[in-house]
Amino acid sequence: MLNLLRWLVFSIAVLAMNFPVIVTVITSFKSARELSFNPGFWIGEPTLENYTRVLGETDRFNIYGYLINSTVASLIGTGLAIALAFPAAYAIARSEAGKRTLLPLIINLRAVPLIIFAIPLYMMYQWLGLLDTQLGLGLILTIVNTPLALVILVNAISDVPSELDEAAKMDGASSWQVMLKIIRPVVRPALVTTFIFGFITAWNEFLFGLMLTTSRAVPMTVGASFFFAASGGGVQWGTASAVMVLGALPPALLGLLMYRQISASLTAGAVKG
Amino acid sequence: MAIVNRAEGRAYLTPLVGFLLFFLGFPAAVNLIYSISTVSFETLRRPSLSGFGNYAAVLADREFWGAVSFSMRFGVLTALAECLIGLFLAVFLTPLLAKRSYLMAPLMLPLMVAPAMIGLMYRLVLHEFAGPVPYYLFEWFGDSPAFLDVNNAFRTLLVVEILQWTPFAFLLFYMAYAAIPLEVREAASLDGASALKALWWIELPLMLPTLVIAFFIRFIDGFRVFDNVYALTGSGAGGSTTSLSIYIYQAFFKGGAIGKAVAASVVLFLASLAVLYGLNWITGRGRR
Repeated sequence: MLNLLRWLVFSIAVLAMNFPVIVTVITSFKSARELSFNPGFWIGEPTLENYTRVLGETDRFNIYGYLINSTVASLIGTGLAIALAFPAAYAIARSEAGKRTLLPLIINLRAVPLIIFAIPLYMMYQWLGLLDTQLGLGLILTIVNTPLALVILVNAISDVPSELDEAAKMDGASSWQVMLKIIRPVVRPALVTTFIFGFITAWNEFLFGLMLTTSRAVPMTVGASFFFAASGGGVQWGTASAVMVLGALPPALLGLLMYRQISASLTAGAVKG
Repeated sequence: MAIVNRAEGRAYLTPLVGFLLFFLGFPAAVNLIYSISTVSFETLRRPSLSGFGNYAAVLADREFWGAVSFSMRFGVLTALAECLIGLFLAVFLTPLLAKRSYLMAPLMLPLMVAPAMIGLMYRLVLHEFAGPVPYYLFEWFGDSPAFLDVNNAFRTLLVVEILQWTPFAFLLFYMAYAAIPLEVREAASLDGASALKALWWIELPLMLPTLVIAFFIRFIDGFRVFDNVYALTGSGAGGSTTSLSIYIYQAFFKGGAIGKAVAASVVLFLASLAVLYGLNWITGRGRR
């Protein structure tokens, strides 16, 4: 009996939390004709026409551009964050450097509203010619990703017994070699988690995309909102839904594939701090 | 022996520190200078120092205080609701989920979707002609509230935020609940404690640090909310949904009031520092 109640609560929670996603997926398979008289959950004649339009009419919809921009900027933002955080995490885990001030400072960065840096960054980007470029967006996403990358990697490296490093040093390896040849393979799962998690975070970022891009480097989150800028005839809900599904799919798929690792790293960042 | 000596340690930290100094330190300095300057889009490169007029203007602005009030109420209410619902789900569903970890995936899905995207999706969900919610409300009750007008927008946004982020609180509590040692539970039940009593007197106190941290993380994220509010209402509804982040964004982009926007940024920065120090103090991390 109690178990039945648990299943009920679970189903309600899942439905309620995923409600907007479910509605959007359903809407994306409705024809324009059906949409006009049937906003309900039932689809009379499911169709792929919204997807073929969004993906086919490239002169009208810049969907490939948005997807490429999001991918490139997220890859830069995640790769660079790991490249910067990994050696720093090694130093913090294996020496006294940075433990007292730098680590807490960077962890706290996660909680600082990034909008406070947005205005000077906008001006800085204007001077540096980075406005509306994939690289510029990627560099900012690096900052967004750095705190969690550092926490996950420091935790992971700290969990590796330091006897491993010592043995390698006895054999004459430099600490740089130890870091790359001994530690890196051992913490590969943590590196993969960091990458996936960072990629999802970067892909989903909105504020900096909105502020720092206008046309060439617009990411998916911002591009999707263009479909709602009602022009004359109002919003085309079918195509807009297809765009949202396509934009939400990459991080959702990654997340569903990796939910175990991600939940572990989420809590590592939050609780161990 | 130290595996990484001091000099090496510094060398490994340098790229990260340099990067952050350039991309955050420089902007922070610019913020401080602009906040005490008279500056417009034409005089970006040569702002003239003018004292604390921008701060005075911000602190005298009713819209600023409206935004502060929105962000405070939004942060507290969403964090509270997310923690309460998340805690209930974690405790109540643990027997169900413990053996079927695949059930976690649909619960975590909302965390993978961009908040901005969720905001856009709710524009569809709540749309008076195309959205299923008003459609069924009309069908069943003959009437549907205007979810995004001045009276309802705040409540609507609360629900949107809570539904997306309760899984985060749930996840933290689920992990903390699972981490309680089995012996503690056995000892409690041997002593004749009912499940409810054990929860209240033993398990909740053990989970308290996680509860506090989850509340603060959710409060901070709610306080600085931007994406879904901007995507859903664009701070419309008569300005009733202007969070602090949106206030700063609009002062800069729409109003061109750079000095004011920057001064508000500095105020927000100081406020978030205060909250962070409070959090560190409460969780005892600051003393470590």
